[in-house]
Amino acid sequence: MQSILRSPHSGPRKTDAVSYHQRKRARDRRAFLLFVAPALIAFAILMLWPLLNMFYLSLVKWQGLVKPKTFVGLANFSKLLGDRHFLRALMNTGIHLLVSMPGVMLPAFMLGFFMSQRPRGFRLLRTIFFSPAMISVTAIAMLFVGVYLPDGILNTFLRAVGLDSWTRIWLGNRSTVLGAIIAIDFFGGIGYYAVLFSAALSSIPSELYESAQLDGAGQWTVMWRMAFPLILDFFGVASMLHLIWILMGAAQNVLLLTRGGPGDYSLTLGYYMYEQAFVNNQFGYSQAVGVVIFVIGVLGTLLIRWATHRNYQQ
Amino acid sequence: MSAFAERFGRGWRDGRTGFRASAYFLCIVYALAVTIPLYYVLISAFKNNAQIFGMPLALPTSLDFKNFATAEASAHLLRATLISLGVTAGSEVLVLLLAFPAAYAIARIRTRLAVVVEGIFSLGFLVPAFAMLVPVLLLMAQIGVLYDPLSLILFYPAWRLPLSIVVLASYLRTVPREIEESAEMDGANRLQIILHLLFPLARPGVITVVIINFITFWNEFLFALILLSQQNRTMQVALSILKGERLVDYGMLAAGVLISILPVYIMFLIFQEQIVEGLYVGAVKG
Repeated sequence: MQSILRSPHSGPRKTDAVSYHQRKRARDRRAFLLFVAPALIAFAILMLWPLLNMFYLSLVKWQGLVKPKTFVGLANFSKLLGDRHFLRALMNTGIHLLVSMPGVMLPAFMLGFFMSQRPRGFRLLRTIFFSPAMISVTAIAMLFVGVYLPDGILNTFLRAVGLDSWTRIWLGNRSTVLGAIIAIDFFGGIGYYAVLFSAALSSIPSELYESAQLDGAGQWTVMWRMAFPLILDFFGVASMLHLIWILMGAAQNVLLLTRGGPGDYSLTLGYYMYEQAFVNNQFGYSQAVGVVIFVIGVLGTLLIRWATHRNYQQ
Repeated sequence: MSAFAERFGRGWRDGRTGFRASAYFLCIVYALAVTIPLYYVLISAFKNNAQIFGMPLALPTSLDFKNFATAEASAHLLRATLISLGVTAGSEVLVLLLAFPAAYAIARIRTRLAVVVEGIFSLGFLVPAFAMLVPVLLLMAQIGVLYDPLSLILFYPAWRLPLSIVVLASYLRTVPREIEESAEMDGANRLQIILHLLFPLARPGVITVVIINFITFWNEFLFALILLSQQNRTMQVALSILKGERLVDYGMLAAGVLISILPVYIMFLIFQEQIVEGLYVGAVKG
């Protein structure tokens, strides 16, 4: 670095300043493309192309990697409408969304608000809250094997407090299996988003809250009426991430724990897409499910954006 | 009235103390919900099944490593660890090679194209990789790297480019432009500026990206499951087969979970600040 700074060459000549700037702009654009090109090409081939390909594959009948593909138009989609398992998966994913979106995001915001005030024990709490986010989905699923086993922690706990009649085989019971899968979101999600929210809220000066409190506003009011609108935009971004997790990522829990069973009682859209491709070898049909998930994701994202973006225009 | 009692009394009246108490209560409930399953796995790894189900939350009576041996024997965890490390290292190198120049260009070169390119990459935040399982499998088959760890070393960097670029660019923007301009005046070319000036100055950002990506690559499960052959299982895939189809040997499973968590968790305890900061920046810009 020293040698660069001591280099004897002087700057550009002042006489032809205009053409110098033009040349600089052209040079900048060339350099920009040169530096961005490798990343852009890799991204296009390995991310954007497969995404487009998903839409094409949803229009073909293709029953195995080495089998031929035949173009069938929208037949896969019309088949979906009469598919009992697909409708079950759609309903289960709907329930998952309705429970997990508010159930994870709202407590996460409240904990995040509390943590942004740096209460005593803040560092320890943050370490604990963020821990599940560091653990792989596989390991978390295996943790929950231990929670839900017939003699696992949940049933042991229930027996210890005298609620023997509440014990279940959580993952083998039609009425509890979906709830058991959804509950895993709460384990990891609340703490993760709470820590992110507290990071977002920490940039807000505490004088702002204090002046509101002098005006007689309680903590609950400050939290929802002041802090929440201030980070509403970020709340929206976090909600989108969670939406995508529910639609797609959570299918890994289904794969690892129940494979949609018993029957199809824990079947979700994400897992159905996986199952059709890698269990039943219906690649085209599976991608039709993928397109449905994608459309729900886009609609959900737009809805969240619409609901959380309004404070910008004020 | 003492100062403390006065403050405490006022706290109750404006609801602050009640709010704090209930907030602490909820924090503790949630903290227990997180720590108890982790504690359970930790102790179960050293117990046999009779002890696990007989006294679930009791500490193990002795430090028995039998479960670890069984886990190694049934899923070849050591081999899986090496493959995970190789895949992670390869992906780390590639993602930095691709992301750093791009982040430099986006953060440092003034051109209208930067907005367009940033827009393209920010698509990556909203497109879940999971949706592309089948098309990516097909692509890897066409390239001829299916079942080879190389397929992951190609896919992981592309998948993590958006986040890596956003975080790196946000660090690069904090470097004062004057430093760069004075080096330019002194005749340094772009490559020299990047290698000798910006890369060292953006080191905190580089470290953050490397750590976050390490966690992601190490923890990734689905693509590793789909794209690799059985001989090339990564840690996460090996872990998933430790859970048998019918009977669960929970002690062995717990030992596997413990081994798989350890590297990432140690890293988290050391670099907690950077990880939270990096993930926050990534989410805000995404």
